[in-house]
Amino acid sequence: MAIDEDPEGNEDAAFERAGLSFLDCRVLEIGCGDGRLTSRYAHQAASIIAIDPDTDAVAELARALPGVDARAISIDELSLPPSSVDVVLFAWSL
Amino acid sequence: MVDALRRAHRMIVPHGMVVDVHPTAAAVPVEVNGRTIGHVAIDGGIERHAAADAAIPAVVYDRLFALERVVEFDFFTYGDTIDELRDYIVENWRDARIDDDVVQQTRLALAEAPAGVRPRVLERVRLTILRPRRSAT
Repeated sequence: MAIDEDPEGNEDAAFERAGLSFLDCRVLEIGCGDGRLTSRYAHQAASIIAIDPDTDAVAELARALPGVDARAISIDELSLPPSSVDVVLFAWSL
Repeated sequence: MVDALRRAHRMIVPHGMVVDVHPTAAAVPVEVNGRTIGHVAIDGGIERHAAADAAIPAVVYDRLFALERVVEFDFFTYGDTIDELRDYIVENWRDARIDDDVVQQTRLALAEAPAGVRPRVLERVRLTILRPRRSAT
């Protein structure tokens, strides 16, 4: 299957236009899916917790990005200490 | 959705940020060579996206977050064929489909289009950056 998402790179350009940087940040990504967005900033972040209720998609992310703490759970099931991340990213999930 | 943002507020450090990326409530056209053939049918999609849109001003109004930046952009998804794109959307998008009449019209448009033209769908996406205004309560 040759599905091609955002080959124009408009999403990357928008992140750049917004002045976004995840450099050395502890990131929580909510709705990570298979990690399409995660892979775009994973090289910058200090650590990433990526969650999504879709078990298959999370397994795919875990294979592609082994350094990411990928969890097949919803935000309701997530328990993190207060003030423990620098960035919360809602990836097409709000 | 407001509850999710409240949870996020508790988890981030005072100088941290929330980044939200989600499609707007705009209709999603199916295009061939830049021409709109029809639209993706999304059950409850407009209401869902409108609720997400409303959550942001709600938490800003509550002085939980300050709105730092909003950027909108076009997000295109291409398939080699309209059948491939239709199947992908059914399998991967929430409650969405390309109806048979749009598929048929897209096939006709592709038959008349120059070689190499691929069908695509266009989502208008909004990126929002929020900063926490006060410590978690």
